[in-house]
Amino acid sequence: MTRTTYRWAALFLALPLAVYIAFVVFPLLSSFYYSLTDWNGFDVNYNFVGLANFEKMFSDRLFSNAIGNTLIWTVAAIIVPTGGGLALALVLHERGIFANIYKSMFYLPIALALAVIGQIWLWIYQPNWGLINATLRNIGLENLAQAWLAKPQFALLAVILAWSWQQTALSMVIFLAGLTAIPQELIEAAHIDGANYFQRVRRVIVPLLAPASVVVIALAVINSLKSFDVLYVMTRGGPFHSSDNLAMFMYNESFQKYNMGYGSAIAVVLFLITLAVIAVYFRQSAQVERLYD
Amino acid sequence: MTKTIAHNDRRAATASLASDRAQSSRVPMIIFYVLLTIIVLMYSAPSIGVLLASLKSTAEIAEVGVWAIPRSFELTNYVEAWNGGNAGIYIRNSFFVTIPATIISISLGVLAGYTLSKLKFRGSNALFIFFVAGLFFPPQIALIPLFRLFNDLGLYDTLWSLILIHIAFGIPICTLILKNFFAAVPTAIREAAIIDGANEWQILTRLMLPLSLPALAVLTTLQFTWIWNDFLWPVILIRSDEMRTVMVGLASLKGQYSVAYGVQSAMAVYASIPTLLVFVFFQRYFIRGLTFGSVKG
Repeated sequence: MTRTTYRWAALFLALPLAVYIAFVVFPLLSSFYYSLTDWNGFDVNYNFVGLANFEKMFSDRLFSNAIGNTLIWTVAAIIVPTGGGLALALVLHERGIFANIYKSMFYLPIALALAVIGQIWLWIYQPNWGLINATLRNIGLENLAQAWLAKPQFALLAVILAWSWQQTALSMVIFLAGLTAIPQELIEAAHIDGANYFQRVRRVIVPLLAPASVVVIALAVINSLKSFDVLYVMTRGGPFHSSDNLAMFMYNESFQKYNMGYGSAIAVVLFLITLAVIAVYFRQSAQVERLYD
Repeated sequence: MTKTIAHNDRRAATASLASDRAQSSRVPMIIFYVLLTIIVLMYSAPSIGVLLASLKSTAEIAEVGVWAIPRSFELTNYVEAWNGGNAGIYIRNSFFVTIPATIISISLGVLAGYTLSKLKFRGSNALFIFFVAGLFFPPQIALIPLFRLFNDLGLYDTLWSLILIHIAFGIPICTLILKNFFAAVPTAIREAAIIDGANEWQILTRLMLPLSLPALAVLTTLQFTWIWNDFLWPVILIRSDEMRTVMVGLASLKGQYSVAYGVQSAMAVYASIPTLLVFVFFQRYFIRGLTFGSVKG
């Protein structure tokens, strides 16, 4: 490295670094600062309240409710898109031209915005003529038909299902790429040794998909923590906060009730949860890497 | 010699396996495709439903419902969404945000990615991790400070705030993909150019950029789709109707057209056309971008 090269490096990095720090890193860290205040969003003056916002969380039932729902969403994110994506990838991998056309149909939700997806699924759950209730009535299960999004026990699950519709497609894409990377001889060898299809999947294919699985699950969990659009369009966290996740709860506290100090404290909690997820992700991918080297 | 035999053996085994499969599985194959078709139809039902609803008049929807096949294809909903629903303004705003933010975020990614892969210095790897870390954190964490910052800068309720946000939040993914791409370009090319008297700017723009077209295509499709589809930032930073992007416009349409399901779905189709076009024409790059890093090697 000569001095001129250093100078070029500094010149090239100046702008990206400045923009990234000013609009991502600094605001992210500033949330810690605001979490110690009682700022209301527009007043110039505000007070330092120490850890009062964090103490408030322990007695706030809406907060523990949002944490619980975020946890439910995370667990669903690990199971539904991963299982569905794997199944679809196995079914569609190397099945010829027909399957390739079908693949594109499965890709489609990835290109759609979650705001659009929320809009579409509102009509699937619509009480009177929605797709689910219409189907239930047609097959004689009329008494099961109900206002899905108006029921506290169903609203969250209904939104998670809509979200999973897209996330499953994303998982499938990653699993398909993972399948392409598996040497065909290994699967054929198992076949010749007499392993049936399900044995091949369980003993050969799934273990070899471990690197892809780690990415699929990490992506699903991180996306579940970010999820806001689909919730905003479908329920806004309702009815009675039954579908609030942390992101929605934070939005309501900050931009509906103007408790920006408390909202920042919720953001800090979200930050810490993300940090824990990242730590687990890097540990898992390091383990997988060691296994495959 | 033994190797060839082994190879031939295996080929024979594979061939017999293939013919086995072909003979024994014609009927299961048909069942497989019938089942697959049913799954595909179920999976596509939501998208197909919106398209069908957008082609029916309000009266027809009231009569036969959103999900039925339209009797005649009517485009009145599209006209209404455009004229009464401000679709034209929303779409224009979305383009005003998406195009500059896509181009500039990728340009900054080119600068950072090239420097961190070819002009390595002590601490450059740490700096790379610092850049990429931004990928993992939910943007909600920075919401309140950015809301305040844009208020102080006088950029609240302007498209500038959205452009700046998407440039900044695009830097991690652009840096990640381009750094890895440039790292795979042989260093000898750069050294030869230096001997010929080229400086780093010339190497980057005349040598590296033409080589990196596939990576740029991947990033353009990803960034365009993500920025176009964004919902959170315009909800937070935009207040007036004439500054709304198409996704927020779609969500706010419900009030005025709360039961005009045809107009709502026409708006949903409008909102999705640009990303669907990108997706159809650049699917290869899009998929490559999505699977980036998921497969080892």
